[in-house]
Amino acid sequence: MNAVETAQAVLEVVPPAGAGVARATCAGQWTIHGIAELEPHIDAKPWPATGSLFVDATQISALDTAGAWLLHRTLTRLRAGGIDAQLTGLRPELGALLELVAARGDGIGTAPAVARVGMFEAIGRKAWDDARNIAGFLSFVGESFQVLLRALAQPRRIRWRAVLHNVQLAGFDALPITGLLSFLMGIVIAYQGADQLRRFGANIFVADLVGIAMLRELSPLLTAIIVAGRSGSAFTAQIGTMKVTEEIDALRTVGIVPQELLVLPKLLALMIVLPLLTVYTDVTGVLGGMLMARTQLGLTFQVFFDRLKEAIVLSTYLTGLCKAPVFAAIIALVGCYQGFRTAGSADSVGRQTTISVVQSIFLVIVTDAIFSIVFNLLDL
Amino acid sequence: MDNVVEITDLVTRFGASVVHDGVSLAMRRGEIFALVGGSGCGKSTLLREILLLHAPAAGSIRVFGREVVGLGDEEALPLRRRFGVVFERGALFSSLTVAENVGMVLHEHTALSPRLVAEMAAIKIALTGLPADAGAKYPNELSGGMRKRAALARALALDPELLFLDEPTAGLDPLSASGIDELVRNLRDTLGLSIMMVTHDLDLLWRAADRVAVLGRGHILGVGSMDDLAKLDDPLVHEYFYGPRGRAAREQAWKRSSTLPS
Repeated sequence: MNAVETAQAVLEVVPPAGAGVARATCAGQWTIHGIAELEPHIDAKPWPATGSLFVDATQISALDTAGAWLLHRTLTRLRAGGIDAQLTGLRPELGALLELVAARGDGIGTAPAVARVGMFEAIGRKAWDDARNIAGFLSFVGESFQVLLRALAQPRRIRWRAVLHNVQLAGFDALPITGLLSFLMGIVIAYQGADQLRRFGANIFVADLVGIAMLRELSPLLTAIIVAGRSGSAFTAQIGTMKVTEEIDALRTVGIVPQELLVLPKLLALMIVLPLLTVYTDVTGVLGGMLMARTQLGLTFQVFFDRLKEAIVLSTYLTGLCKAPVFAAIIALVGCYQGFRTAGSADSVGRQTTISVVQSIFLVIVTDAIFSIVFNLLDL
Repeated sequence: MDNVVEITDLVTRFGASVVHDGVSLAMRRGEIFALVGGSGCGKSTLLREILLLHAPAAGSIRVFGREVVGLGDEEALPLRRRFGVVFERGALFSSLTVAENVGMVLHEHTALSPRLVAEMAAIKIALTGLPADAGAKYPNELSGGMRKRAALARALALDPELLFLDEPTAGLDPLSASGIDELVRNLRDTLGLSIMMVTHDLDLLWRAADRVAVLGRGHILGVGSMDDLAKLDDPLVHEYFYGPRGRAAREQAWKRSSTLPS
């Protein structure tokens, strides 16, 4: 067998004939690609249990660090098992490499065992992390509020350029998507309601249904969720990336409070923009319902409007609208807080952005539920 | 085929500005070849072109005798496995530990067992002079010098024949930097690598580079050993090597070679 020409690494072990010495022959390319097939079987070769072993390496045509390590590891294992293994015939320049790998490789341990975390420990750690996270968020809210108060005392310090920039990004640029979705939502509600109302001959009440549902609940909630997905995530990603590239630290060193530059304009912009967007989606949502009322129930726009005026009182409109600035504060603060929590790497930016969106939507819905209870108690 | 990299009449343009206007050079097997030149002269662009990360406007680049200009990703793969790259800022994958950074390359391109991959990663990490516990750390837990070495360990994962180093000593303290000088020379001597580096570090040039090419005004202004280049008349080259810092580095190199037992 002409092993020199094979691309693969080859190892043949010949057991001793009688009382003779066992021999092994290495051949081929002992390189990272060449040893792939040999490696899984190398320990299963018919190695002698005791005595001497001559390993002939004359026919090794190429050797790299991977091949050298495999060879060295095998020889070391044999020697540890009490076999007097001797390597012969390796070309000198390859021998130097083997020595280098042996010198570097003998010190290494195998991969450190990863400490397994038990179920209770995992639950405890998670609970502790969450508690600290909540405490951190509360103190962040406190700090931001302080910055806000200081800024309100000296309105010149507010960076209006940044505020307006954020108004454009979070508000103006969001007009098409929020308008479209709320329009569709109006259509869906009217469509679902139409069938039920027609059975009772109460077609006209579709205006009540659409008007109250959109103005009180759906339009502020829908808008907040879209803005959380669009802008809250963007806030986290921007601040998170700045944290990773040490820009936040740079700001501190030049004497700028990061909250003042990064959080305040976003908070103010969102609190201005979200109520405006909510008014806008109120309108588009009712328009969608109106269109559906005409096609499904045969109500003219005029009739719909007349009924709408009676169905909607000012408090309905205001209870919906007054939630918007609260939602805005939640989205901006959660988004910014998660951005500041980013640590170290690009990976972390992605993780915090996900957390930011999930948390702000969660908090918006919970707050909405609290509002409902409170309004109910107040008879609004 | 003694030249591992051969560049002929390379032209590169970014919009209207011409970065390379007929650059030709050849790098021999087993040598440490350095590209130098002022900021913005196109050293890094040249490196990116050799690495197939950027397409030149005209000219030819042959790596291991194979034309790489216009090569697709699929055809480039066998070539890419034969070279390792250390980027200026390391470019380690930040979500993986150092050992996983090295192991990932091995997993991706070889059929070795997880155990052997882990051992090979540890050897590569040891080869670059990092302590054994560095393998379990994440890149952001390492100092700048250690990150360079970790990036080198990843570049060496597949036992490349050709190694590219972009600014291997940038941002390092003098002690770490001189460690890199030695490491570069050692790797060439023990693993038989050919090394191409882009650097501003005059100490590294004097101590590690076999041949140096000076880029400027879109051309190669000179190629040769540091001593050859020091004799060139070109004002740009002269400025580069005889500026105050260049002189200090050269005197340092002479002092060192005269005190070495030969």
